[in-house]
Amino acid sequence: MTAKTPFEVELSGLMVEVLNLEIAPEEIAPEAPLYGEGLGLDSIDMLEISLAIGKRYGVDLRADDEDSRMVFASLRSLARHVDEHRPK
Amino acid sequence: MHWLGAAQRGSPALIRFIVWVALRVSRTVARALLYPIVTYFVIFSVRPRRASRAYLARVLGRTPSIRDVFRHYHTFAAALLDRVYFLTGRHRDMTLSIHGNEPVLALVRRGRGVVLLGSHLGSFEALRAAGASEPDLDISMLMDNANAQKMMRILTPLDPALADSIISLGAPDSLLRAKARIDAGGLVGLLGDRLRPGDRAVPCPFLGATMWFPAAPFVFAALVGAPVVLCYGLYRGDRRYDLHFELLRERIELPRAGRDEAIAALAREYAARLEHHARAAPYNWFNFYDTWAEPARGEAR
Repeated sequence: MTAKTPFEVELSGLMVEVLNLEIAPEEIAPEAPLYGEGLGLDSIDMLEISLAIGKRYGVDLRADDEDSRMVFASLRSLARHVDEHRPK
Repeated sequence: MHWLGAAQRGSPALIRFIVWVALRVSRTVARALLYPIVTYFVIFSVRPRRASRAYLARVLGRTPSIRDVFRHYHTFAAALLDRVYFLTGRHRDMTLSIHGNEPVLALVRRGRGVVLLGSHLGSFEALRAAGASEPDLDISMLMDNANAQKMMRILTPLDPALADSIISLGAPDSLLRAKARIDAGGLVGLLGDRLRPGDRAVPCPFLGATMWFPAAPFVFAALVGAPVVLCYGLYRGDRRYDLHFELLRERIELPRAGRDEAIAALAREYAARLEHHARAAPYNWFNFYDTWAEPARGEAR
């Protein structure tokens, strides 16, 4: 497992803050599944984190993207998607 | 619907036969067939019968007789049979008395998406059928994965558009899908009286004891900023259904401080309205398991 990029670190901080997770941001492994097994987030958590990402980075995460399930697979895939789509 | 699931596993041929009779012969004949079937289940389904008795004792306030239990099972079976007609749009002969839908329609006409918060008291299909007769209403239904798969298998050959209105809860983006429907001014139905594994559970008084309700419907409505309308499709016997709509909140605000209390207050209000309608239509309770069981530790957060 590789170390987190600075943006992944930032995003894990946002997740812990928005979802009131009882773990430290460092404990979120970049490639572990976010949903279900793994970090144990549910559909409500995913919605909440999507809305927070929209607010902070201006990236509208939509369900009609064919690959939205891929985007939500891990912190790494989420960070990559948000980083690629946010207005620079 | 564990016992029904068991029945389907045991005899899909029986289910197919009933649906065939319902659609090709007549509702009267199909309903006549329900008597031996219901009798069979009243005799042989031990745990559901125990759950039915426990519920009926609470809601009726007396020791239920075997006739009460039979009536409970029969009401469920009759409403289940009618789903065949509602789903295929052959419900012109049904009498749907609709109460309180004007505020819902007013919200939708103003372009607002609405969360329709139902329960297993009565038939959600009757509610959807009533909505289908209104032009331009886009109604989707959130349901857990297993039920969604089952519904889609039934609906796809009947009406692919209807199958498209089912949103399965089993994926990370399930609620984003539901939010997209709300944002487009659609109505999204979900049932708020059953806990799913991992749900945050709120204890509420219900028919004289504590029952645990999921917090998720209220959190979802707060996040998407949609009004919440409670709804009940109560089967009244023969061809009659009473449909009730009640606006719970035009918008749910969950403050960071006091968020849990706000959710608990909403859940208790939901439980109180459910109790009211359960007392008015006691045999419409379509949960045949111990709904008062405390969620296992680690399941509820």
